[in-house]
Amino acid sequence: MTRSACALVLFLTSGVAFGQAPATPAKAGPFKRLPDGKPDLQGIWAAGTFSPADDVEDHPVDRFQIRAGKSIIIDPPGGKIPYQQWALDKKKDLFEHHMYEDPEAHCTLSGVPRQMYAPFGFQIFQPAGYVVIFFEAFHAFRIIPLNGGPHPPESIKMFEGDSRGRWEGDTLVVDVTNQNDKTWFDMAGNFHSDQIHVVERLTPVDADTINYQATITDPKVYTRPWTIGFAINRNKRPGYELMEFACVEGEQDLQHYTAGEGAKK
Amino acid sequence: MMRLGAQFLIAVLLSGAALAQTRTADGKPDLQGIWQARNTAAGDLEDHGASQGIPAGRRVIVDPPDGKIPYQPWAAAKRKENYNHRAIADPLGKCFLAGVPRITYLPFPFQIFQTPQFIAIAYEYDHATRTIALNGSKHLEDIDFWMGDSRGHWEGNTLVVEVADLNEQTWLDLAGDFHSDSMKLVERYTRTGPDTLQYEVTIEDPKVFTRPWKISMPLYRHTEKDFQIYEYECHDYLEEARKGAPK
Repeated sequence: MTRSACALVLFLTSGVAFGQAPATPAKAGPFKRLPDGKPDLQGIWAAGTFSPADDVEDHPVDRFQIRAGKSIIIDPPGGKIPYQQWALDKKKDLFEHHMYEDPEAHCTLSGVPRQMYAPFGFQIFQPAGYVVIFFEAFHAFRIIPLNGGPHPPESIKMFEGDSRGRWEGDTLVVDVTNQNDKTWFDMAGNFHSDQIHVVERLTPVDADTINYQATITDPKVYTRPWTIGFAINRNKRPGYELMEFACVEGEQDLQHYTAGEGAKK
Repeated sequence: MMRLGAQFLIAVLLSGAALAQTRTADGKPDLQGIWQARNTAAGDLEDHGASQGIPAGRRVIVDPPDGKIPYQPWAAAKRKENYNHRAIADPLGKCFLAGVPRITYLPFPFQIFQTPQFIAIAYEYDHATRTIALNGSKHLEDIDFWMGDSRGHWEGNTLVVEVADLNEQTWLDLAGDFHSDSMKLVERYTRTGPDTLQYEVTIEDPKVFTRPWKISMPLYRHTEKDFQIYEYECHDYLEEARKGAPK
């Protein structure tokens, strides 16, 4: 609960990378490697900007006094989600009338890619055969096997979906399926269906930076695939550890999502 | 020949019953895999007959020898009250984090990952996680957690995890067994075979118990093809159930 309250404060005061253009491939610098030669991505990281947690598209200061921010959509070039018309109408309705339905306000998991730009960061482990990510937000985790096994049957849907990874050179490519239709991309009501398919590409550019891109396909909702991109930065504070994020245990945020309730406080 | 000789030597070294285990690249016992308890401890740590949703079962308490939790008198009374109200009072019924050690013997699998620096455990129930640092760091002060603060080290073939900074809001089982925020745990994980891991916990809480006590149980490795950790987003199902409930 306190962490959730912190989240709101962070949304309001972050903006570390506010106004920055989406990550562009930088000149490769040195980074550590594991004994098997693969990039060593282990450590504690966070997205360089939490602005997409508010809205993945360009957005002005909105009614919750959330800071303005730039789109992280690098394709299509206009930086807008290529919604089908019905879906654009639905998105507007969600934004205008249903923000309290943001799944995160109900303490449910964020889904992929939203989990990757949630505040508080995450820790990457690389035990043999896996990339494992523990997130502070919602104590979510992602287990990414590298053994090429198949995704589970389509009928098994999950908030975080099912991730399978492989290395393409120094890029970790993660294929994400089996997501349910309950998560959003942000607080602005940007949404997807249970047909969402995400392909993520994590490329270390130096010891402390990962270039993150995710291509999102969902033929039920969009007219074409679209891609987001941003930098993920290493947390270099000595001794820093992820804390526990207990959300449902003391959930009180929901009432703050309705202006009337919020104003009374 | 050299290679065969080395393999033979390794085979001999590993043939001792307690050593029948693989090791990680850095030479530590390999505890990795997907594990699950196969007992009724989640229902009641003590000997118990069957009740709603809980099969009858034997105690997992190995010390004290009578298999009873050594409650102080006031605490025994409170435990009885918890038991009587367990259907609504159990924190798990609200989908709260289960705490340690209860998370270990819930009827859900969990996966252990190892690197030289960390043991990372991902639990299917409520997507709980534990990150156990092996770097000799100290517990945090003046803070408490639903899942506590875990620091580990190796003692021979056993992973020893000290857990502190637990809050007082979790239960130890569905029978209302409880503790205070002074509880401290020492967990011991020992691989005893290709598909078994012995899990032992010493529980100390001077506010609630008259003496430290100990539980012990085997954990079993899932060997089914394509077995994996899925997701149990507990309170989402609770919300759905409430929506469907008659008004």
